[in-house]
Amino acid sequence: MHRKNLALLSALLALARPALGAEVGDTVEEAQLPTLAGGKAPLVGGAKANVFVFAKPGQEHSRTTLVALARMEKQFAGKPVRFAAVVSDRFSPEEVGAFVRTTGFASPVLIDAGEALYSKLRIRLHPVVGVVDKRRKLLSLLPFTKLDYEPSVRAEIQFALGEITEEQLKRIRTPPPATQGGAANVAQRYLKMGERLFSVKDYPKALDSASKSLAHDPNLAAAHSLIGAIRAATGHCSEALHDFDAALALDPKDARALEGKPGCAGR
Amino acid sequence: MKAHWFAALAALAWAPALLPTRAGAAGKGDAPAVHKITSKIALAPGALAPLPQGTKAAWSHGPYEEGNCGICHQRNDPKNPGPILMPTNELCYSCHEEFQALMRDREHKHKAALESCSNCHNTHNSRERKLLLADTKVLCLSCHDKTRKEIEGFKVVHAAINQDSKCGNCHNPHAANVEKLLFRLPFDLCVSCHSKDGMKDGDGKVLTNFKKWLDENPNWHAPVAAKDCSACHKPHGSNNFRLLGLAYPSQFYAPYDPKNYALCFDCHNDQILADPKTTTLTRFRDNDTNLHYLHVNKVDRGRTCRACHEVHASKQPHHVRDGVPYGPKGWILKINYTQTPSGGSCAKTCHATQAYDNRRGGGAPVDATKKRR
Repeated sequence: MHRKNLALLSALLALARPALGAEVGDTVEEAQLPTLAGGKAPLVGGAKANVFVFAKPGQEHSRTTLVALARMEKQFAGKPVRFAAVVSDRFSPEEVGAFVRTTGFASPVLIDAGEALYSKLRIRLHPVVGVVDKRRKLLSLLPFTKLDYEPSVRAEIQFALGEITEEQLKRIRTPPPATQGGAANVAQRYLKMGERLFSVKDYPKALDSASKSLAHDPNLAAAHSLIGAIRAATGHCSEALHDFDAALALDPKDARALEGKPGCAGR
Repeated sequence: MKAHWFAALAALAWAPALLPTRAGAAGKGDAPAVHKITSKIALAPGALAPLPQGTKAAWSHGPYEEGNCGICHQRNDPKNPGPILMPTNELCYSCHEEFQALMRDREHKHKAALESCSNCHNTHNSRERKLLLADTKVLCLSCHDKTRKEIEGFKVVHAAINQDSKCGNCHNPHAANVEKLLFRLPFDLCVSCHSKDGMKDGDGKVLTNFKKWLDENPNWHAPVAAKDCSACHKPHGSNNFRLLGLAYPSQFYAPYDPKNYALCFDCHNDQILADPKTTTLTRFRDNDTNLHYLHVNKVDRGRTCRACHEVHASKQPHHVRDGVPYGPKGWILKINYTQTPSGGSCAKTCHATQAYDNRRGGGAPVDATKKRR
């Protein structure tokens, strides 16, 4: 895969939006709906972070989501966060009650008569979690995903509360790739091995390892200073000085070079 | 070769020196708790000994290859190296320090790696790359029993499982920032391979170049936009075509049965195909006549989702496709969909031009059932 193409695709992806009716940034109109427990309750409420979920009794993804939200109810207890679930009146109160009880979700369950709210917000999917701020601005609308759904929802709430920065939120929305390896890491590995060999006074092998380290990363100051230290230890001070200078040019604070250079000066 | 005589001695001397250490650590229940699934590897006798003399190693650990036992062990004597200098992972990190950082900083960590690097790696040498104790897939599945059983039972297996780095094509065996130890979000992983022309499945069917397709079609299905290919596809294997997680009709026509659409109903509201009249479930309705129901809910030749929708991405809104392959020769039947502010129309397609209006109040609905053929 060409990196440029992937980058372009990622940029397009950032512009693409899930096909949902309500859009992030919209002001969500408040609605008073009957609740499963009796009486009425608002969809949004006036908390700093208002979380609603459109759920479907019997559906596994909805169950998973309500279980996750139940965990968040506890995690955010005492903070200005309000949760509500919305279910269709197509399901009997008994069916809804039994379903919700299995999840541990304790916040109000709102009954959407004739799925009017579902239609108005053009939700189309189950489950979908929305996070709304105190001014009823829709901060995020998250259709269910198989991976990392709970951390994503949690991060949106934390962002609404001001507990995490936009940068941290971005990192959760688009996690950095878990790559490993590369020349810099190989260079570090040879450096560390060289340091161990140096500590047991195996100078020829230590020099070989440090040289391999430099071959992988010529700008690794510590590898230059290790070579300098090896050369100093084997009586080649004039060469060692050159190595220490190379290390200090790359990193003026390189401790090994700073320590080794005076010992070689004038020799 | 220096390593040969060294291997013979070390096989005898080092393995007993190492194994009790590891068994002891497991027995103490060090944090994190010893993961049940790792015990099979941890208890394999001699698993960490160097390969027997005469066995060709594909990879050899630098210090072992150079005969520097003392880098890791108390003595630089291959006949009697003694115990390792510090706990396994701490010792490994002292050279492989980038792994310490990623095991600390990444969100999701492999329990086996947290417990001990030597759960998967032979610290001396190995027939396998990266000093693994066995072939990647064999090694992973020796613990991940559920996945092994699934893969063995699938009708359709993802080819990636048996190619290149196998499990390591998608999973980082140490730690990652995405659940399931995925290197990247599913979409980024999938498209990184499914972006070639002419790629074929196991039956020889040409697979879509998704990079190209998504570039050319701006209306993306929500799971695609959410980078969640796993919403519909099972990445290891499946008993459904195209690695789909649940049932989805592969043909243009199918008798209506909600079970056939289990995949769609995993997220979408099944009532959309069950209620002949609605004013809320869908905007594909003429007044209150549910046109989804009308097209799909038929006992014999119901049109399936694919008849009108392109499930990954489309040029038209609502994932309406430009044309659909029809008949045995795959003739492209144009849909000619046009969206209007309150509905839309399909022209010269399966039927004569038909329009619908979802804001029309009253009056007879347009006859959308009138067929041309």
